[in-house]
Amino acid sequence: MTELTLPRLFEHRVKELGEDVALREKKKGLWRRISWNEYYAHVRNFCLGLKSFGLQKGDRVSILGDNCPEWLYADLAVQAAGAISVGVYPTNSYVQVKYILDHSQSKLVIVKDQEQADKVLMIKDQLPFLERMIVIDMKGLRKYDEPMMLSFHELEEIGEEVHEKSPSFFHEMTQATGSQDLAIIVYTSGTTGPPKGAMLSHKNITSVVDSFFQVLPITQADSLVSVLPLCHVAERLFSLFIPMRSGCTINFAESIDTLQADMAEISPTIFLTVPRILEKMHSAVTIKMQDAHPLKKWAYDRFLPVGQEVAERRLSKQDITLFLRVAYLLAYLFVFRPLRNRLGLLQVRECVSGAAPLSKDIMKFFHSIGLMVKEAYGSTECTGVFSVPKGDDIEIGTVGKPIPGWEYKIAGDGEILMRGPAVFEGYFRDEKATKQAKKENWLYTGDIGEFDEKGNLKITDRKKEILITASGKNIAPSEIENRLKFSPFIKEAIIIGDRRPYLAALIQIDYDNVADWAQKEGIPFTTFKNLSKNPEVYKLIQGEIDRANKELSRIESIKKFILLEKELDRDDDELTATMKVRREMIEKKYGDLIEGLYK
Amino acid sequence: MPILNTIKEERDGFPEASMPKLEVKGLNIHFGGIKALNGVSFSVGENQLFGLIGPNGAGKTTVLNIINGVYRPSSGNIFLGEKDIVGLKPHQIAEMGVARTFQNIELFKNISVIDNLMLGRHQFIQSGILRGSFYLGKCLKEEMVNRDRVEEIIEFLEIEAYRKKIVRTLPYGIQKRVELGRALSMEPKILLLDEPCSGMNTEETEDMARFILDIKEEMGITLMMIEHNMEVVMDIADRICVINFGMKIAEGNPGEIQNDPKVVQAYLGED
Repeated sequence: MTELTLPRLFEHRVKELGEDVALREKKKGLWRRISWNEYYAHVRNFCLGLKSFGLQKGDRVSILGDNCPEWLYADLAVQAAGAISVGVYPTNSYVQVKYILDHSQSKLVIVKDQEQADKVLMIKDQLPFLERMIVIDMKGLRKYDEPMMLSFHELEEIGEEVHEKSPSFFHEMTQATGSQDLAIIVYTSGTTGPPKGAMLSHKNITSVVDSFFQVLPITQADSLVSVLPLCHVAERLFSLFIPMRSGCTINFAESIDTLQADMAEISPTIFLTVPRILEKMHSAVTIKMQDAHPLKKWAYDRFLPVGQEVAERRLSKQDITLFLRVAYLLAYLFVFRPLRNRLGLLQVRECVSGAAPLSKDIMKFFHSIGLMVKEAYGSTECTGVFSVPKGDDIEIGTVGKPIPGWEYKIAGDGEILMRGPAVFEGYFRDEKATKQAKKENWLYTGDIGEFDEKGNLKITDRKKEILITASGKNIAPSEIENRLKFSPFIKEAIIIGDRRPYLAALIQIDYDNVADWAQKEGIPFTTFKNLSKNPEVYKLIQGEIDRANKELSRIESIKKFILLEKELDRDDDELTATMKVRREMIEKKYGDLIEGLYK
Repeated sequence: MPILNTIKEERDGFPEASMPKLEVKGLNIHFGGIKALNGVSFSVGENQLFGLIGPNGAGKTTVLNIINGVYRPSSGNIFLGEKDIVGLKPHQIAEMGVARTFQNIELFKNISVIDNLMLGRHQFIQSGILRGSFYLGKCLKEEMVNRDRVEEIIEFLEIEAYRKKIVRTLPYGIQKRVELGRALSMEPKILLLDEPCSGMNTEETEDMARFILDIKEEMGITLMMIEHNMEVVMDIADRICVINFGMKIAEGNPGEIQNDPKVVQAYLGED
């Protein structure tokens, strides 16, 4: 089975499922269904269109834009032609876009809309390899006099003509794709240095899907909403790779603003998410409940502990008493069911969180409302997934057991090493980095972790982020940071303490929630900066820190902190495209502030 | 692409597909003893974005009010294509393809965004009360066609998240956008905008400027805009007319206007 490639798997699914729904897209307020046959026609026509513009096997094609069905058509079309597709974050600045288009030597680029097209047009003169730009949504662009630009629709029409002349061409092309061929290059967001392009082959992809299905099977009956950026390997896995095997339905929301409402309408069965989204949902619920009707608030406060108790017992495989069962039923009917419905998570049977460590408290909250969130572990370099808990064998604080097909060990310094068919082929045009990450086929993940007695993997932190305090104690900052971020008033926390006598923190307040609080307390403020500088806000955060400190050992507790006067921003190089904090950058930038914490 | 096609089709089917050129000639109006406009003339070309600027109280909104028939001028003519529209009722002028937005948002605040936009299409709805109450056949079809167009406008203005919300509950910047949508749903040939960016923050202003440009380019509509935000006007207008104390003091492209001594004087005062 692993001999297959994604385009060949796609043809199998189309043959098998034909008129069944493959994708749904909300347009003009209604969900429009796209069948597997229609999906196929789009991919085929687009692929043949690309071919007629001279796309060759092995060429790189970049895709730049928010998630939409066309993103998937383009991705599959590129791969079907034997070329390699490169996803670019739509939030990237034109400088970052230039780096990736240039480094990948992309011949063609597919952009979603005017916003993305303008970025490419701004830098096109500096991109000698770029020949054409294909635009999905031409709104605002029709008046541009730009010979290199043409619309997605036009290209499909050209492809359709090619298809009429030689109907077997597309099929021959997909049959010519080999499992050793490269399918995609994924540029890692990179908390340090410029992004690196991890090359993934069809073999990498199909093998990881096969082993993933042994732990977490997904069927045609499942549906997902495509939320995270498609250029990220995890979203690609769920929105593209998995459906090629399972035939599940992928849904695209109308816009980012309508996501919550669209989620509730679709009520997906599988939910792939990142800690940031779960944190946001949790703080939204917490804040909403404070303003809720007293009866609602009472019910919520009463029933949440019931949910917690049931979740804990379920995880530790203890019996759930009859009384608890009845209480839980009431809690479900009156609180959890409506709450989950509102969040669009009512039907979710598998909720997987990845990309960054999730705080235990957040996880417990979701378990309490009956949503058994699982933490998975993986990286771009291992094609997405290394480990994920199976069934309800969830141990909070761990990422479960490795999925079949992986050979693994912990190196002397605690680094997790893995070997298997899903280890990436190397970094594109970067021998040196490849050699550092891959030695004798072992992938050096750069993550520190350990296995507990049950065989569950516990991730400590990124190797280079471990702090060593002046007294010589190793501390993993992310766990403490997550504990702080559990507070609805804290959006971002950065722990400082490497070679320092004690730990300190840079805190970014959650503007919406703190503003809401200030309004209620009658504290006047104007801007984010003004709010951060308010002594009352400082006191509020002090309270939150004190609460977190109570649960931390003395050495791990935070002695001092400072409130950032501006929100961390991607454009200021403080966050990566996946919203991870660039610690090094921040420590450099706020050096003076940090020094102040140790005086 | 779908949006453009439908609009083109509908416009072609329009009964009076006259030239959407607007010409104002020697406009005079006085309220009591005050001469609000004194011989103002200008001409707006097809698919032009025409900016009308001037200090407070210069008479800009009065010009718009005369064009769409709210005020009747003491003298002067307004030609829409070949036809002089002075003396026509506002609804007659609206039916000829002139839509507008207001300085202070004029929407039905207690109904949804969709309903406001559907109301903008009342001139395209022919079924009467009787047919409407049974909601069958032609009426149902009519509703679907109009709703489809309204949804296109909602997508165009990126207000999908608000479609079922009550207007009153929406932020100011969004209400402004909804009002623009209401005007667009009338399928205008000429759109008059009275301070579309007033009271908006930088981001909202940029969005609005982009929508205005897109309306001009995608829908081929002729626009006339009053705006106090000079940056926006200078950035997006094709041609600008400046009035002060009811008199036209300059007309030209943004570059010319910025360097016109009379304009500088009107804005910065003497010396």
